[in-house]
Amino acid sequence: MHSLGIAFDLLFGSPIILYSIIGLIWGIIGGSLPGISASITMALLLPFTYGMAPVQAIVLLACTYIGAEYGGSIPAILIRTPGTNSAAATVIDGYEMKRQGRAGEALGISLWSGVIGSLFGLLMLIMLTEPLSWVALAFKPTSYFALGILGLSVIASMTNGSLLKGLAAAVVGLMIATIGTDPISGVTRFTFGSPELLGGVEPVLIMIGVFAVSELMMQSGSKGLGGVSEQVRVRLPSLSMMNRLKRSQFIGCLLGTFEGLTPGGGGSIAAFLSYNEARRWSKEPEKFGKGSEEGVAAPETANNTVASAALIPLLSFGIPSSNSTAVLLGGLLIHGLLPGPRLFEQNADVVVGLYLGSFIATLAQILVGILLLPVCVWLVNRPRAYLAGFILALILSGIFTLNTSLADLGIALGMGLVGYLMRRAGYPLLPLILGVVLGHMVESSYRRSLLLSGGDHTIFLEDPIAVGLLLASFVFVTLSLVREFRDARNAKLKDAHA
Amino acid sequence: MREHAALRDLAGGIVVLVIAGLYYWAIGDIAESSLSDDVGATGLPRILAYILAGFGLILTARAVMAGALSPAPRPAAEASAPSEDEDETSALPRALGFLAFGVAYVVLVPIIGYLPAIALLIGAVALYEGAPRNWKTLATALGGALLYWGIFVKLLGVHQPSGWFF
Repeated sequence: MHSLGIAFDLLFGSPIILYSIIGLIWGIIGGSLPGISASITMALLLPFTYGMAPVQAIVLLACTYIGAEYGGSIPAILIRTPGTNSAAATVIDGYEMKRQGRAGEALGISLWSGVIGSLFGLLMLIMLTEPLSWVALAFKPTSYFALGILGLSVIASMTNGSLLKGLAAAVVGLMIATIGTDPISGVTRFTFGSPELLGGVEPVLIMIGVFAVSELMMQSGSKGLGGVSEQVRVRLPSLSMMNRLKRSQFIGCLLGTFEGLTPGGGGSIAAFLSYNEARRWSKEPEKFGKGSEEGVAAPETANNTVASAALIPLLSFGIPSSNSTAVLLGGLLIHGLLPGPRLFEQNADVVVGLYLGSFIATLAQILVGILLLPVCVWLVNRPRAYLAGFILALILSGIFTLNTSLADLGIALGMGLVGYLMRRAGYPLLPLILGVVLGHMVESSYRRSLLLSGGDHTIFLEDPIAVGLLLASFVFVTLSLVREFRDARNAKLKDAHA
Repeated sequence: MREHAALRDLAGGIVVLVIAGLYYWAIGDIAESSLSDDVGATGLPRILAYILAGFGLILTARAVMAGALSPAPRPAAEASAPSEDEDETSALPRALGFLAFGVAYVVLVPIIGYLPAIALLIGAVALYEGAPRNWKTLATALGGALLYWGIFVKLLGVHQPSGWFF
């Protein structure tokens, strides 16, 4: 009842609705700009929050996060460029749908799934903050290592008949992740004396390079740049389609909640895992990778669920599970707010305001999303030749905002060439991305585990969470191998009969 | 067509081997630290280099077994028509040309500044992709540059590189 009273006070006695909507709009626009991730969109707001009341500042940042998670899917679908890391999985079927002239449908599914994911994540946030936060507390380095392996095991079922090439690409991704400062000893590795590489190569540079730059190169090399030549209107899914998407959205909600609760999990892993599981459980798995509606719904539901669920370990223990929640933690600290049980006791208005603001932003997402999408669609629906120039300019300008470093531009362009050559040689790009994203977590948690055990590898078997996650990884890989061998055998039999 | 795919896989396998070799060679430059653990800063990189080399060997061997090195006879009629392979060969320089605009931007932007550099980039890429040489392209390039300058420099407050002019 006390919380309800605070909620009413905030709703009618403060501009919380305004801050929610502003945050949402800012997040959608920021998230839809390639190179500006959710965390950057939020970080850009941080200086403006100094003069605000704590509850307004936190609502603004949290709603920006919600908006950016959805906004990231817009360029993923329209120009094959994930606006945020967690929208990378949306590229697979979202862009394929766009190529089939179904961009509006893909955007509508993304919007609807985002709302479902946000609502579910918010419900989990409100209901499970305290009890489930014990899971996050129980995570040890061994569990983190197993989580990274689980994320990498997804590669096996994403390579579509080229498992070896996919694994090679993943190893190259892991190699890129070793660039920079060693997580344990602090020794520099593969920096070749360049100070720009001391902090490693940011995954967003790799993503923009191999996805966006290579796509521009591919299209330039074939028949000119493919813009959105057809008339695109946002098409929210019909009732029958909503019914069809329920299964993949349910998977996205569950995995999004799990990954949101898991420190280090994040939206990218949740999106890829959900995509993988949605395909596994789909009645039409063969459509995945070829413009499947479920292939858009699952990752979008998952990453939007993560945006809310990731606040659970942050609010309970002050553990930021992603860059974005780290920025939100920064927002809390700016206003002298320390996460933890005391936050609920001493600053209940901030916690309740956060819940309320997130709820408002989630509901408003449908309307704001529909109103803003035509603007975004208009931006990419220009003549093809001009679009190429604008997209390349946007990519290069966006990348510069990360660290205001020209070296970043060089890295992204270099990765564009790598991505282009990989595509020409038939190597899948996604394993490379997963290797880069998960590499640091896998290595640092593996070595920390061995430090704790004095080099004894049985430590991984002593942690039940790690054992469960490693077993799940084993099942993923085994099933994928069986499927690959079965498909190869069937193809040989077909050749023999022909 | 199958020979072409095998040849492509052979090239890919060799490139993977080269990457593994170069990466392994670069491990030698990693300094030892007294703070290092049992695995060490070179532990994972070494394992990754071995694994990638293994994949490279398998990919190369598989491509050779698939007939990458066997000469493929070509029918005369097919040889006279432009093939998919030739299309792909011509696509590479065009794609590299596209990338060159990005590289040129990186070189030029600290010299001439963000606004003129981004206008040049938009205009040059549009012309390269087939836009007509008229006032519309010029206006689009200038308008686009102003738009990005407004968004990034004015709205977001991100300092883009300044040069001699801006």
